[in-house]
Amino acid sequence: MTFPMDTSQDCLRAWEAMPWVLQESAAPEQSEWLKGHLAHCESCRAEFNQQNRLRLAMSLPTDVRVDAHAGLQHLMNRIDASEHDATPYRMRAGNWLARGLVAAVLIQAIGIGALGAKLYSSGERPVYHTLSQPAAPVGAGAIRVVPDANMTLTDWDALLHTLHLQVVAGPNDVGAYTVALVNNPSNTEQTVQQLRATRGIRLAEPIASTP
Amino acid sequence: MNEADIDADTNDRMLLQRMAAGDRVALATLYHSYHGRLCRFLSRLTRRADVIEEVINDCLWIAWQKAGDFRGDSRVSTWIMGIAYRCGLKALRQRGDEPVEDDNIPEDRIPSTHPDEDRELRDWLAKGLDRLTADQRVVIELVYGVGHTLEDVATIMGCPVGTVKARLFHARVKLRNVLPALAGDSITLKENVP
Repeated sequence: MTFPMDTSQDCLRAWEAMPWVLQESAAPEQSEWLKGHLAHCESCRAEFNQQNRLRLAMSLPTDVRVDAHAGLQHLMNRIDASEHDATPYRMRAGNWLARGLVAAVLIQAIGIGALGAKLYSSGERPVYHTLSQPAAPVGAGAIRVVPDANMTLTDWDALLHTLHLQVVAGPNDVGAYTVALVNNPSNTEQTVQQLRATRGIRLAEPIASTP
Repeated sequence: MNEADIDADTNDRMLLQRMAAGDRVALATLYHSYHGRLCRFLSRLTRRADVIEEVINDCLWIAWQKAGDFRGDSRVSTWIMGIAYRCGLKALRQRGDEPVEDDNIPEDRIPSTHPDEDRELRDWLAKGLDRLTADQRVVIELVYGVGHTLEDVATIMGCPVGTVKARLFHARVKLRNVLPALAGDSITLKENVP
């Protein structure tokens, strides 16, 4: 790199400082120093004047005519167009999402309704029995009794009263009752024998407690 | 950075904040504020008015979209000039144009308040700038025309400060050797009067 002026170190320093002094970004000390140097260095003074003229020429407005208002209008149109393009896309995306959600909710509602209607219409107890389901409690000393179909209700009531029995369940599908002693459950075996001896009783047997 | 620059930058930052919120009035204000200097800056790369307008719009379109991302690491003007520089080079690449002055001097020049002085200065400058590379013209414009520091110019052009120094040095040497001696001393002296 060849320095354009055959001068001293001070002239090199002046050359470096000129642009920044001209644009007033140099430190005050640097500006003062350059001013002092230019006062006695004709070569640097000429260079500085030329630099200043260059700055003036560079600060002139360009001679290429560009209409700012038209340019701004084009930019605004461009922004409008981009927002117009973006908005329908967002709306379309939003519509699809909303429609999907509504469809999902409707399908769920229809399914829940159908299941509810089916359960409501069946209204039956399940015929199955799960292991986790508690068995119907049977008291100690319960007896299963099957009276004859011809036995009158009066005779049946009298029998229960005589033997101090109380119906706790039944009759089931085959006409069996579950009865239990009201006062003394320990006399089950004796009561069973009395029932078996009674006319009109087809079956009498103690019910073993559930293991 | 002097006080006027600080005020201008503060004002520009406020405009960017408003633009980030979608304020088009702020965009229009920034557009008019930067239009003149962007025109002149880009005219160092190309003389085509349509390309200059397109690049200015690309530049401020990006500024509009990225206003919220401005981190404030540099002055707003440095940020915008950097965008304009990259947009300018990209536009020229897409057209297959070289970033040089062409010979078609526009007929519709902007009228001046001192047409004789301006014409003399423009002619004087044109003789010098014709000898510079595009990068050297850009450096001269940013330092002498806009008033950016070396660091700012390095940021705008995306290169090391040393590269900017070298470009500035070579540009100044060329201009000193090419430009005629100060026939316009009277103008210079006139401008030097406090």
